Amino acid sequence: MQDDLSAIATLAKVSKRLAGKPVLDGLTLKIRAGEVTALLGPNGAGKTTSVGLLTGRLQPDTGTVRLFGLDPTRPAARSRMGVMLQSAGLPDVMTVFELVTLQSGYYPNPRPVAETLAIAGLSDLAKRRCGALSGGQARRVHYRLAICGRPALLVLDEPTAALDRVSRQALWATVRAAADDGTAILLTTHDLAEADALADRVLVMDRGRIVADDSPAALRARAGGSVVRCRTMLPPALLLALPAVREAGPDGTDQRIITGDAVATVRALCSADPNLADLRIADAALEDAIAALLGPDRRIAA
Amino acid sequence: MTAAALPTGIWRREAVAELKRSWRLPQFLLPTVLTPAAFYALFTLAISRTPSPAVAAASLAGYGVFAAIGPALFGFGAGVAMEREQGLIELKRVSPLPADAFVAAKLVAALAATAAAIAIIYLAAILAGVRLSAGQWLLLIALHLASTLPFGLIGLGLGMRMSGKGAVAVANALFLGSAVLGGLWVPSTMLPGWMQAVGQFAPSYHLGQLARAIVGADTIGSPAVHLVVALAMTLAASGWAWTGWRRSPA
Repeated sequence: MQDDLSAIATLAKVSKRLAGKPVLDGLTLKIRAGEVTALLGPNGAGKTTSVGLLTGRLQPDTGTVRLFGLDPTRPAARSRMGVMLQSAGLPDVMTVFELVTLQSGYYPNPRPVAETLAIAGLSDLAKRRCGALSGGQARRVHYRLAICGRPALLVLDEPTAALDRVSRQALWATVRAAADDGTAILLTTHDLAEADALADRVLVMDRGRIVADDSPAALRARAGGSVVRCRTMLPPALLLALPAVREAGPDGTDQRIITGDAVATVRALCSADPNLADLRIADAALEDAIAALLGPDRRIAA
Repeated sequence: MTAAALPTGIWRREAVAELKRSWRLPQFLLPTVLTPAAFYALFTLAISRTPSPAVAAASLAGYGVFAAIGPALFGFGAGVAMEREQGLIELKRVSPLPADAFVAAKLVAALAATAAAIAIIYLAAILAGVRLSAGQWLLLIALHLASTLPFGLIGLGLGMRMSGKGAVAVANALFLGSAVLGGLWVPSTMLPGWMQAVGQFAPSYHLGQLARAIVGADTIGSPAVHLVVALAMTLAASGWAWTGWRRSPA
C-alpha cells in the first residue's frame, strides 16, 4: 500500500472514537489521483468523521492519515486541497469578492480571482455581501472557495443537498468538468443518483468500515439484474427462497426483491402468493445494489 | 513529497480582513470600546467630583485592564462560539490558513478595540489631572494591551467548547467577575477577605497590581511575583485554548 504512488490521500487502519463511541474501526481508504470517488453509507457510517480526518480537523486514535504525503493537520498538506462542507457558513459582512480574494491568498498558486468568479457566472454577485445571498448562491460561493486554489483534490461533502434540480444539474456539470481537468474528487452523498452520475468509484461504508469498493457499474452488476417490487403477504424468508433472489426486504408497504432472473422469480412469486398486488419490475439501480450490500435494516436515508 | 510553501503575507491579509469585519459590526464593537470608558468617567471622575490625581491614576491602572478584558472575552469567546455555530471556523480550518494566523488576526482585532478603549480612558484621565512620565505611559500602554492576551486565550478556549449562547453567558460572568474580584473597580484592599482570596486566581488581579505599580500606586506583594503569575496564567490559558481547538472538529 505504501507503494501506491497514485494515492494522494489515505487513511490507513484508522480507528476513531467520538464521545466514547467507536465511529471508525480499522478503516483503510485510498483516494487516487484523477478519480472521482463517492463515499456512501447510512447515517453514522463514518463518512463525516473520515472527511474530518482527511481535512485535518480530527486526529485518529490509532492508524495514520496522509494527505499528499503529509499530516493533514499541517497547513501545507491542505494547500493542494479544496473543501466544500455542507455545514460551513459564510461571513455575513464580507463581500463575495473580498472573501474569494482572501481565500485565494491562502493558496500558493491560486486562479485569478476574476476567473474564479467567472466560472458559472458569479461575477455579478461579486460586490454583494455574503449575508445577502440566497441559499443556492451561497452554495455557489462555497464551490468557488473550494476551487480557487487550483486544488489537486476536491472534497465535496453533500454538495447538492437542499439544491433544486436545475442547480444540482449545473453543479454536476461543473464537477464533471473539474474531473475532466484531472482533479481528484472525493464526494460524500446520500444521493445515489449523484454517485451514479459522477463517480468512477464508489466506496460503501457501514459501521466504520468499507464494505464495498467498486465502479457504479460493477456494483450494479453485483446486485443482480432487476428489482421486483410488490405487495405480498409472504415473509422475507420465503421470498429469499424463491429462484434467483439475492436480497429481499420491506420497502415501505412494499417488499423489494433483488433478483438475477426477474422472469423466474416473478413466475414463482405469482404461484406462491395468489393475492400478489402492485407488481413492478425495474433494472437494478445503484440504490438497490447498495441496499443489497448493507442489508434491509441499514438503508441510506434519502 | 515536499511541503508546498504557503504564500507570504497570509498573516497580514487575514488580520486586515478581521479588522474590516469587526469594523462592519459596530453593534459588537462599540459597547466593548465605550463601556469601560463610561465606567471610568462615571465611577472615578464623576462620583468623587474632584478626585486627587493619585486616586485617578490608580483607578486608571485598573480600568485600563478592564478595557482589555471586554474585546478579548467577547471578541474571542462569544465571537468564536458564534462563528463556530455558523460554520465559519470550519471554513477556515479546512483551508490552508495556519491556525496561528487565524488566532493572530483575531488578536489584532481585539487589540485594536482595546487600543481605542484605553485611548478614551487615558484622555479622560489626563483631563482629570493625571500626569505620568513618558516611561510610565509606555509601560502602561504595553501592559494594558498585553492584558488582551490571557483573556483572549481564555475566550478562545471557551468559544471552542461552548455554544454561542453559553459562551456569551460565561463571558459576561467572567467579565464582571474579573473586574470585581481582580480589584479593577474597587481596590483589592477594600474588598472583603474572601473576595481578595478568590481574586488571586484571576489574571486581572495580577495585571491590575502590575498596572498600579507602574503608576506608582500602592500594591499588594511584589510586582515581580505578579508578573511571573500573570505569565504562568497566560501559558495555562494557551494550553486551555489549544486543547479546545484540537478537540473540536469545527
